[in-house]
Amino acid sequence: MAQHGGPQQRIFSPLRTALHRFAFILLIFSAFGLMLLGKADTVLIERIRAASADLVSPVMNIVSRPAASINELTDKIYNLAHLYEENERLRRENQQLLAWQQAARNLSHENARLRDLASYTSPPALHLVTSRVIADMGGAYAHSLMISAGSRDGVAKGQAVISDEGLIGRVAEAGYQASRVLLITDINSRVPVVIENSRDRAFLSGDNTNRPLLTFLTADAAVAPGDRILTSGHGGAFPPGIPIGIVSSVSENAVRVAPMFRRHQLEYLRVADYGLQGILSNERIRQSHPANTENTTELSPELPDGVGIVPASPADGGNETVTPGAAGEAQ
Amino acid sequence: MKPGVWHRLDIIARGLLPAFSVFVLLLINLLPISVPLLSTASPALALMAVFYWSVNRPDLLTAVTAFLLGLLQDLLMGLPLGVSSLVLLLVQTGSASQGRFFHNKPFSVMWWGFALVAIPALLVQWLLSSALLGALLPIKATLISYVLTAVLFPVVAWVLARAQNGLLRYV
Repeated sequence: MAQHGGPQQRIFSPLRTALHRFAFILLIFSAFGLMLLGKADTVLIERIRAASADLVSPVMNIVSRPAASINELTDKIYNLAHLYEENERLRRENQQLLAWQQAARNLSHENARLRDLASYTSPPALHLVTSRVIADMGGAYAHSLMISAGSRDGVAKGQAVISDEGLIGRVAEAGYQASRVLLITDINSRVPVVIENSRDRAFLSGDNTNRPLLTFLTADAAVAPGDRILTSGHGGAFPPGIPIGIVSSVSENAVRVAPMFRRHQLEYLRVADYGLQGILSNERIRQSHPANTENTTELSPELPDGVGIVPASPADGGNETVTPGAAGEAQ
Repeated sequence: MKPGVWHRLDIIARGLLPAFSVFVLLLINLLPISVPLLSTASPALALMAVFYWSVNRPDLLTAVTAFLLGLLQDLLMGLPLGVSSLVLLLVQTGSASQGRFFHNKPFSVMWWGFALVAIPALLVQWLLSSALLGALLPIKATLISYVLTAVLFPVVAWVLARAQNGLLRYV
């Protein structure tokens, strides 16, 4: 620690402070540069994030086990204390479920017969990967988890992640042996949903609170507290019909949904490969092209108001002439 | 007497302790703990350690290290990139320059100092994250996070002080 002042020290000391100051300014600029990069190039950042998840996953995989066993212990103590009430509740629930089981059996037979009659094509079968939660990025700024399954197990970006209760989120980045799951409560999460009873469509948008919002709901949609919310399957990102939550409050400007899962109790999750790859996979993003402006449908590229679809003006000498109104735009 | 290779390696390894302790605290922050409160807002453990080391051993936790640890935090937690780097860098530089003030003072002074430093640190994090996400994040979670961070600081500082006394006395 002790530093001896000498002639060398006297020469290099101001130089060193100048260098330090320069390094500090450089680091500040690189922090802002990183922010810009994070906004601009998402594919590269995703790869790096996935790699960093892979990096810590072996450690987290081991250390999260004792944490889980401590949780089990506290759970056990809690359960012992509430044994009687829990038993009563389960008895009641069991009665109700038995009635539902009967209804479900009848319906599934009827459904099978109707499908035969209508030669209905079933949706693709679900391929499920079960994995353990190894990290919870609990915090005020992001709602996400890390799970111990990655591309090695067939997990890919955009796949739905389900717990026993219902949908909890989607895979944000898939590493080789670990992936990050973006919860439906995160501010970046948007899930196409449908209200179970009224079949009204909407989006479930997270806002980093425990009660995500229903957005893009039509004005005449019928929604009331207690309604169940399911995935709609639009966009091919999620299998349809997975329960998500229950409408908790309806007010003038916001409909909020209470998710089915309790975040602090998530332990094992299933990743559902729906076979459709979803709208979020990198292949889709790479394949997607800007809107095709070539006039392939033989319809005028500019549609006059109130007239409907107008056929392109008959070409006089091949394809070279364009409608006067659409000149310059068409090709 | 010339120090041997092993001796030099030993000193380098000990010198890495501050950065390593921040990394360990980052991982502890990631542990899935079944307490309802902690899943909505968690204490900023890395911030505590960066403050502690910049006050006590700024020579071992430099600005570059703080920057890189912040980058790691952003990558692991799925936060907007660069925000934690900036926050930890500012905390490191600010605390290291004021470190002399805390020397030979009772621990409560350092605690107060940290409680003061953590306010702008978390506010900057909240503001920049909100700006980068393009939506105002709920401030309530940040407030809870701040209270947890300020209250838990003595625990972390005690552990770090033990490590400092045990491993870094002659480094």
